[in-house]
Amino acid sequence: MTATETLKHLYLHREMRAKELKEEGLKVVGYFCCLVPEEIFSAFGLVPFRLQGSQRDVIDRADAYIEPMACPFARSCFNRALKGEYDFLDAFVAPHSCDTIDRIYSIWFHNHPADFNHLLNVPHMRERGAVDFFRAELAYLIKGLEEWTGRPINEEKLRSAIHLSNRKRNLLRELYEMRKHNPPPVSGAEVMEVMVAGMGLPVAEYVELLERYLEEVRWRKVGGPPEPRLFIWGNEIDDSAFIQLIEESGAMVVMDDLCTGSRSFWHEVPETADPLMDIAQRYLSIPCPRSNFTLTGNRKQDLENRFGYIGEFVEAWKVDGAIFYIIRYCDTCELEGPDLRDYLKEKGIPVLMLEDDYSLVTIGQLRTRIQAFLEMIGEVV
Amino acid sequence: MGEKDQIKTTAVKGTQTARLIREMVKNIYRSAHEAKEQGKKVAYFMVASQYDEIVRAMDVVPIPTENYAGLCAAKRDMDRFLLKAEEDGYSQVLCSYARIGLGFDSLRKELGGIPENAPDGGMPEPDMMLGSSAVCDPRFKWYQAAGRYLNVPTYSIDVVAPPVQAELKEVRDYYIRYQEEQFRGLVEFLERQTGKKLDEDRLWETIKLGDEAWRLWYEIDRLRVAVPSPMPAQDHFSIMVAGHYYCGTEMAVNFYKQLYEEVKYKVENGLGVIPEEKYRLLYGGGLPPWHTLWIFNYFESFGAVFVIENVYRGYDPVEVPSHVRDPIKYLAWRAFLRFTQRHEEAKKNSGHQVVERLLKLIRDYKIDGVVFHACRSCRATTVGQIHMKNLLGRYTDVPMMQLVSDMVDLRDYSEAQWKAQIGAFIDALKARS
Repeated sequence: MTATETLKHLYLHREMRAKELKEEGLKVVGYFCCLVPEEIFSAFGLVPFRLQGSQRDVIDRADAYIEPMACPFARSCFNRALKGEYDFLDAFVAPHSCDTIDRIYSIWFHNHPADFNHLLNVPHMRERGAVDFFRAELAYLIKGLEEWTGRPINEEKLRSAIHLSNRKRNLLRELYEMRKHNPPPVSGAEVMEVMVAGMGLPVAEYVELLERYLEEVRWRKVGGPPEPRLFIWGNEIDDSAFIQLIEESGAMVVMDDLCTGSRSFWHEVPETADPLMDIAQRYLSIPCPRSNFTLTGNRKQDLENRFGYIGEFVEAWKVDGAIFYIIRYCDTCELEGPDLRDYLKEKGIPVLMLEDDYSLVTIGQLRTRIQAFLEMIGEVV
Repeated sequence: MGEKDQIKTTAVKGTQTARLIREMVKNIYRSAHEAKEQGKKVAYFMVASQYDEIVRAMDVVPIPTENYAGLCAAKRDMDRFLLKAEEDGYSQVLCSYARIGLGFDSLRKELGGIPENAPDGGMPEPDMMLGSSAVCDPRFKWYQAAGRYLNVPTYSIDVVAPPVQAELKEVRDYYIRYQEEQFRGLVEFLERQTGKKLDEDRLWETIKLGDEAWRLWYEIDRLRVAVPSPMPAQDHFSIMVAGHYYCGTEMAVNFYKQLYEEVKYKVENGLGVIPEEKYRLLYGGGLPPWHTLWIFNYFESFGAVFVIENVYRGYDPVEVPSHVRDPIKYLAWRAFLRFTQRHEEAKKNSGHQVVERLLKLIRDYKIDGVVFHACRSCRATTVGQIHMKNLLGRYTDVPMMQLVSDMVDLRDYSEAQWKAQIGAFIDALKARS
């Protein structure tokens, strides 16, 4: 199998590799969001498995445990747990990333606990003491894992894990760099699948696959008529269907700021004398809307502080338009969206802001709006 | 249900003291306007952020933006603000407090002044905004977003609490240290904004007043274990104004002293909220339906009284160790102790600190039924209610019900549905009695 085929296979059978490794005697840790450092799990020799929902299945069991006005992604993940689809997890770690994930930790813990369960408190602020606090929280998680696994870890193991994850980040950035080409050698949907494929296997295996995959992509011949180049912003997209819908409508998704996309790997962990501090710093600097940037200067400067990196993305990737995919009931994204729209409009980037229920049924209904948006861009481009 | 249709009634015997609250609410916004005229600093602020006494000690006049949203709903004047925020791009499922606040700010900017006939004179433009991560995420994101309409300095702090499963001995020091640093950051910000240094004696004074108000409020609630209930939930949703919007002031302490005396008198003389108290209810959680507070009277028309609530007074008084001599450290300790006061009990029993509190309330207040209010736009107080109901059900067999609407957005409310649900709930209470 080529690496491209293997990644596709892993995307379609997301739990397969983690289950195989469990059969071989390894332990699997399920965790939410990109705010939980995978390096810590790697250092313990645990298989990190980023929890995913299913946009294809209806949420049919979770209603007895969690309100419908909660994030449908989180509800879907728990629905899968209730159906036994996450029974292969040995540990469950949730960050206090947002109100719903915080609440779902308790619901999960009481109704479908793993052998080891942990809530990681992630500060919302980034200044004064936040990194020290987060470092202490990570040390507390490590202590819990040491007790649970019966194995201590040392700084050397953490350093190797950081090094490995940084290698992964480098490779993914290389992949994203290729998307600067016009047309890019990989579609947005394929990139999404490659990202999701890497969420359920040891980092070392993913690194090896990515190295081979990038070689394969390098030899691809691409061509075709020019199409509008789009940037996607939002939260959890772990199915390629939405991106596919956009690309079938006549556009290319060339860049993103999603917690399953660039947000999850863009910045490296610095490699200094205090690896835990390095991890704390890096993860707190992830630009998730749930984290706060203290206001400095006027409105214009504030938007630049918060979204400057997106400004760089749209410029470097020559983006013609942006689509926001906001999962309904995500308060932080709902509050961030209009600000980011203002910022991008100022840069001349048209924005389509969509709110959705994290379901293929509802995604299909977005087709007309996407087509109208692309027509509008097409007239401008 | 009974043969005849139950109708709206007014509260039969609420407290007289609670009626003073209306004037105190008006005073919040009047004082803010006056302060602006006098050149004093005025701040948008979030209640229960544990920083109230600091704000008071710095003589910054607070404008509680969430309260303003509730006020608009109580006066049924919220639609123009909600719709304005939605027109500006905010989702219809976003926190409706935030939508009202943002819509109000948007309109004020557009009109160049307070929107016409805004409830209680409206909110003046603040000199600063003070957000926090206490309770929910929108409480700092909202003020960040409000930067679209207000060019004022904004500062938010983290307010942290460990999960029940954490070993408190192991996490306490770094939680308190971080909380203290967060408060110190706020103090520095306020010092820059006001141009004056924090007076620690003055801070001790406001802390003493804040603690005393909350102790009295706790004592009042303890009096409410009496049968018949001396004070209804409608009063609770009024009198919380003193504890939250006047925390750290003499006014709050004096108010609760007066209320304490009245409630005590009612208890001693057996004066209940309604003539015949058949069912004693616990308001299990969720923000109240500010748009339809008469619904509590509707319950009373069936002989059902809400005797205690699990919202707004979320913690009992705590004892900060005497070695803590610094007021900022004191506030950090107090926050930690407040948030963790039921952790150890919960660990031994239900594993959930709020469930633990509810179980205690059910026992102490001789509760016959529990009602939750789910708000479509409030994740923080809504998500987890079903879970709590499920956990409670493992320890008690009292009937429980979840009503669904929103704290301020009337579009999420259906009177017919509520009446049908309440009717069935009353039947369940009847069947048990």
